[in-house]
Formats: sequence, structure tokens, C-alpha cells
Amino acid sequence: MASGLTYTMLDATKLSTSEIYGAVLCELGEKHPDIVGFSADLAKSTKIGLFQKKFPDRFFNVGIAEQNMFGIAAGMAKAGLTPFVSTFAVFATMRALDQVHTDICYQNLNVKIIATHGGLSFGQAGSTHHCTEDLSIMRSMANCQVIVPADGIETANAVEAAYYTPGPIYIRINRGFDRRFYDRAEYGFKIGKAVKLTEGTDITIIACGSCVYQAVEAANILANADGIKARVLDMHTIKPIDKEAILEAVHDTRRIITVEDHNVIGGLGSAVAEVIAGSGKGCAFERLGIPDTFSIIGLHEDLMAYYKIDTNGILECARELLGRDFEADDDWEDEV
Amino acid sequence: MVCKEEIFANKIFLNSVLPLLKVLAEERGELKKSFKNKTAVIQISAKDLEGKVATHFDIKDGVWTVGKGTVENSNLDLELEFSSIVQLNDFFTGKTKKLPKIKGLRNIGLLAGALKALMAMSKLLGASSPPKKEEEKELLVKMYFYLLSSGISQLNKAGHPDISNWTKKSPDRVFAWAVTGKPELSAYLRVKAGNSKAGRGEYKRSKPFFTMRFDTVDSALGILLQIDDMIDATINERIIMEGAPEYGAQIGEYMVLVGSYAKGEYKKG
Repeated sequence: MASGLTYTMLDATKLSTSEIYGAVLCELGEKHPDIVGFSADLAKSTKIGLFQKKFPDRFFNVGIAEQNMFGIAAGMAKAGLTPFVSTFAVFATMRALDQVHTDICYQNLNVKIIATHGGLSFGQAGSTHHCTEDLSIMRSMANCQVIVPADGIETANAVEAAYYTPGPIYIRINRGFDRRFYDRAEYGFKIGKAVKLTEGTDITIIACGSCVYQAVEAANILANADGIKARVLDMHTIKPIDKEAILEAVHDTRRIITVEDHNVIGGLGSAVAEVIAGSGKGCAFERLGIPDTFSIIGLHEDLMAYYKIDTNGILECARELLGRDFEADDDWEDEV
Repeated sequence: MVCKEEIFANKIFLNSVLPLLKVLAEERGELKKSFKNKTAVIQISAKDLEGKVATHFDIKDGVWTVGKGTVENSNLDLELEFSSIVQLNDFFTGKTKKLPKIKGLRNIGLLAGALKALMAMSKLLGASSPPKKEEEKELLVKMYFYLLSSGISQLNKAGHPDISNWTKKSPDRVFAWAVTGKPELSAYLRVKAGNSKAGRGEYKRSKPFFTMRFDTVDSALGILLQIDDMIDATINERIIMEGAPEYGAQIGEYMVLVGSYAKGEYKKG
């Protein structure tokens, strides 16, 4: 049984991302009696426990039996209910993958999977609780949409949007407290549409999840210290990805960095690379993420620094990329 | 010894101003007619301690190609040779009326055509108010855009301290000049780590880092001929800075610098 450890909250006055998820689900539950909740003995850790308290008759703790949980959720969706299923990302996408694949995605059922403790956010718990493969796995599940919110406010928007969007949706959030980024909910969140956070035509940093905050910090430093104008895109939806925003960035800046708390294979970076390769347009491109390895163990912030997906890592990559050639540089003769 | 300022001015005349003769000869009806089916090589040069600096024009069946530097004497049909870099600069800034040595007087028709083209260019670029005809206005804007982009690049290549320091620190960036709805008038300047390249037309490989865009040809001439107020034009959107305004101010300073050399408003050594 998971320990149910609470949070690494830096600011106790703010809600953690999963607490916001729990609160939003309660609000939605008030309005929509079709919503039911599921947990596999992790209600406290995933904060779906808030829903459990408010709607005990609409909540099901199946015990440590994730496969059963997704199977039951599929059945309830088939019966017209809207299940919100919460467990750690590593269990949702790997332990119960067969049920997610066949019972839910294959049947295109209306199940919302809210996976917490994504990426390396529970880094100190060790490899069994790290999850740096889930985006790759869930992106390849037909019918399934994949969202990685940047912070609590975006999580609230994503959970609400997920309810109103039919079909299976995977929302990946972190453990505990995320650096608060958005200060209000009304900034135009829409599934499949990236949010442009800073304007720039030197380079574009495309980030998701906890890396969004780091990307904006890096962009600010690049602007102030280097005079570099970096565009930052919050690519909260990995599938369907916002092709238009990516191709606009390729055209406008010709240098793209993707940053994600995930293996560099199969996640945000791969999704962006597929769009660029498909367009036939060239650009200098770098994917930041966990290299093709199982992560070392440690606190989230330390691991982000170690794998260079924090502000300094992004800065280093941006500076390197800006010096890289992307077109023939041998002709510097003025046209006459 | 020629001072640095004269060398910077000379680079602008030889490599930014004189190449505009080609633009004029290709676009102005009467000049086109003067050079129709003509084949000749014309050179404008100035003597210096190491020999000569020059720009030459290779005209084949009326089609002009601009070349930097000198060509072999035996290939020349006409040469206007100034006795020094300073004399060439003074001549083009109107500080002297002393004519250069003319080599190739036997080609009187060619000489007449070349002088006509030079006079026409001098009149157009020296105008203090906009031309009346629409096509003349567009031609003047295009020539100014070419002159400014190339002038900044030439000052960089010649090691002008302000401009070369700027380009050395710059990542790969493109600065453009444009008039809305008139892409054929556009020009751009690409800079990267000390290098620079002036280009003509729209830069299509990506969105330029900064574009100084004018809403009409008249608005462009208002600024280029210094008869409009920059701040007023910006407030009223006759000029639109596409990109960070601080870069607009910076490129504006370099435009003024090129203008000061082209008008002879620089410190004599």
C-alpha cells in the first residue's frame, strides 16, 4: 500500500495541483450526477479523496487492484456514467495498460484518467514510482487524448474541459505542489491549442507540465542577460498536438527546443518532431527530457537539474542552439 | 593616409550607392532605352596607395551585372577614374565639381548614357521631397531600402566600431524593411556573429526578427526623406515596428549613420 505521503508544498496557503483537481471534481460532481470516482487505495495521495468525502455513494475504492478499477470504470462508462479514475501515472499506464487499452480506448469509452505523480515528481520514491514513459504509451492509444497541465489552474481547466469532451482522456499531473504559473483561469485554455506565453522570434521553447515554468524563467533570463527573444509555448495537449503553433514557430524562429519531464522518446519532443518532419521544413531542433535511461533517485527539483530540464538546462541548450547553423553560411556577399 | 571615416564613406559609395545604377537602368524607361542591346564594361574607380578601389558594371545586351573591385584595363570600355578616395567621396557628396579622369572617350554614346544614369541617380537620391509619379516614388523607396541594408552591411564589413560590435554579439537575425502590399520593394539584412549580408526582396526562410514596415509608399518616403516625424508616424501607425521596439530604435540609428556617410556629414580626417 502506498504511504499516502502528502506534499512538498512550498507555500501552504496555496492548494497543491492534486488538491485543485479534487476540488474541481467536487464542483463538477455537484452539477453532474453522472460523474463517479475511482481509486486503487490512493484516494488520499491523488486527492480524489475530496470527491469521496463529498459523494461517498458515487466513489469506489477497489483496493490495490488497478486492472479491476479500469475494467469497472469501463463498465460504468458503458452504462452512461462518467468515471474519473485516479491513481499514480506509473500504475495507470503500465500496470493496468491492458484494461486501459482494450476495455477503455479500444471501445472509445468516456473514461477520464487523472494520473498523479507523473514524471519524476515522486523522484524520492524510487524507480517503481517514477513514470517517464506514460506520454509515449498513452499517445499511442487510439481514441485517447493526452493532456499535461502546467500547474494547478491549468489542471482545473483541463479537468473541466475533459468532462465536456467525449471519449477517453489521460491527464498527467505531478505529485504535490507545482510552481504556480497562471494567476487566473480565463486565459483561453482549449484542448489541442497551445498557449503562447512569451513572444519571440529568435527561438521557441515548447514545454509541458512542470517544465513550462522553467521555460518561462529561461526565456526571461535570455531576454535580460543575452538580449535573446524566446517564444514559449505551453503545449499542454500532447495529443491532439497543436500543429499550427508548431509550424508557426518553425517559420518564425527556426530553432525549437522541447522540454518535458519524460523520456525523450515518444513524448512531447517526439510529437513535435513528427509535425516538423511531416511539414518538410527544416529547423535546428533539440529535445530536452530524460535520456533513454531509468532515472536516478532524488527530489524532483534535483532530478530536473540533473537531467537539464530546469531553467539552467534550458538556458544552456538555447545558447548552444542559437550558435548552430541552420542554413548555408558560406555566402555573406551583399546582393547587388 | 586616408582616414577611417573616408574609407567608410567610400565603401558606401562604391558598394551600396553605385550598385543602384543597375536598379535605375533596369527600371527607368529612358535609361533602359539608352542601354538597349548595348554590351560594354564601365568602371568607376579611385586611386589609393595600394592601387585602385572600384565598382564596375558588365553590361551584356542591355542587361547589367554589378561587380565589386577592378577589372582588367583591356576589358574596359569606359572608366571614370578619381584621383583619390577623398575626391570620389567629395564628388558624390557634392563637395566638389571636379570631374574624374575619363578613359574611353571614343565611346561617346556610352559615356553620355553613363553620365545620364549617374545624374538621374543623384537627382533621385538627392531629392528632398517625394517625386510626383507613383512609379518614381516606389523606385525611390526601393533604392533607399537597398542602400540602407547594404550600407549597414558594408560598414560592418569595413569594421565600423559601432556596427561591427553589434553584429559580433548578434545571434542569427534578419532585419527587414517593407511597405505593406508592395513586397517587390522589400530589402533585408541578415547578421550573425560578426557576419552580415544585405539581401533584396522579402526574406522568405523565416519571419524576420524585426521588420520596419510602412503602411504606404508615401509614409515610407516621409521617414526616408526626413520630412515626417518618427514618433508621430509610429503613433499613427504610418510606420509599424514588427518586433521589439528597442531593435527598431537601434536599426534606426544605423540607418541615420549610413545616411550621414552618404550625405558627407562625417568628420574629415
